[in-house]
Amino acid sequence: MRIEVVSEVSKVVPNGVLIARFVDLSDLLARVENDCELLIELFAMFKEELPARRAALHNAIQLGDLHLATAEAHTLKGMLANMSTKHAASLAATIETAARVGDMAAVNVMLAAFDTEIEAFSKAVNEFVAGH
Amino acid sequence: MRILIADDEPVSLRMLQKTLRRAGYEVTAVRDGRAAIEELCCSDGPRLALLDWMMPEFDGPAVCREVRRRRGERHVHLVLLTSRSSKQDVVIGLESGADDYLIKPFDPDELKARLHTGLRILQLEDNLVEVREAMLYKATHDALTSLLNRGTIVELLAHELSRTRREDGCTIAVLGDLDHFKLVNDTHGHLVGDEVLREVARRLLSSVRSYDFVGRYGGEEFLLVLNNCDAKKSLKRAEEIRTAVCGSPIVTSQGPLVITASIGAIASRGRIPETVEDFLCEVDRALYTAKSAGRNCCRIAGAEV
Repeated sequence: MRIEVVSEVSKVVPNGVLIARFVDLSDLLARVENDCELLIELFAMFKEELPARRAALHNAIQLGDLHLATAEAHTLKGMLANMSTKHAASLAATIETAARVGDMAAVNVMLAAFDTEIEAFSKAVNEFVAGH
Repeated sequence: MRILIADDEPVSLRMLQKTLRRAGYEVTAVRDGRAAIEELCCSDGPRLALLDWMMPEFDGPAVCREVRRRRGERHVHLVLLTSRSSKQDVVIGLESGADDYLIKPFDPDELKARLHTGLRILQLEDNLVEVREAMLYKATHDALTSLLNRGTIVELLAHELSRTRREDGCTIAVLGDLDHFKLVNDTHGHLVGDEVLREVARRLLSSVRSYDFVGRYGGEEFLLVLNNCDAKKSLKRAEEIRTAVCGSPIVTSQGPLVITASIGAIASRGRIPETVEDFLCEVDRALYTAKSAGRNCCRIAGAEV
């Protein structure tokens, strides 16, 4: 079923197979009202924006500023959810929750999982953007 | 329809911008709360706004509070659009003054439907304001001549006298009465009488400056309030007004009619009365003097002419 959806959307979104592992492309396409050009433009903007936001989250956690970490995780959650990157968004949400309640240990554990996911996702985004 | 979107996250901002433009909105996009407040609090600013919660300078709820505090007269429909989804956040957001609350990521159809709700509310407000303004006009203007009605012109005179007192200026009140107007009604009918009154009103308006006031004081009586005048020129101004009314016959459906007017005038300088009623009493006496002097002339209160 998942493969069917991916292949179906890939017809609409060229070069979309890899990124579809991370992004619910059919959901995102519906939200941009099937505007493929906009979708590509959004990923290009996202690619530019993501490193700075990630760095800001890491910085806040390194400083032990959980208030700031909550805000940065919240922003990342919103960005990712906006791009229908649901799994990564949910990881950002768990960091936000842990930071809000002051659980630094949980923040660090979730950050590692988040980083792994984001690294792989970033590669997919870079490839996707480079292909257009 | 203009709409403001405020979001510090560029991808989200772009997505919103494109969705709303496609839906026919004229979009103004800003990246922080302060800029949102400035845009929304302009007298001609957008009346529909989508606000992110977390933004630099002022967050979404703070923008709502500030806009509600500063922009009194016309309603601005504020929608918070945020990924904060707890019930507590929704309550805080709405309590801050937001009209609606949407959770990110947004669905374009739902977003547009919610904005339509906002537009309906704004349309309703526009209709109410229009009706209120029409009622205000009716309450302050004479239905026949469209001049200010008696209550309003007297109120304006009182206001001008009080300002004159403060600023040591001079206001002239001119009270005019059409001579033998009853004869016009009796001879040609009330409809012709109405035509005459409308034309006299038009002539009076064209004889004064844009910041003077003209009102229908009674049946065929007119009160003019002339601001920032030279008291010495009271008679000259009164004569100019009389000439404007009587200078040429008034063309009616029953043919041209020669209409004359008697005029009393009073200048406030050097004679600040206790009340506006005292002032009106004096100008009324001057008008009576003009009538007694044979009509179709002007008399100034207190002057030996």
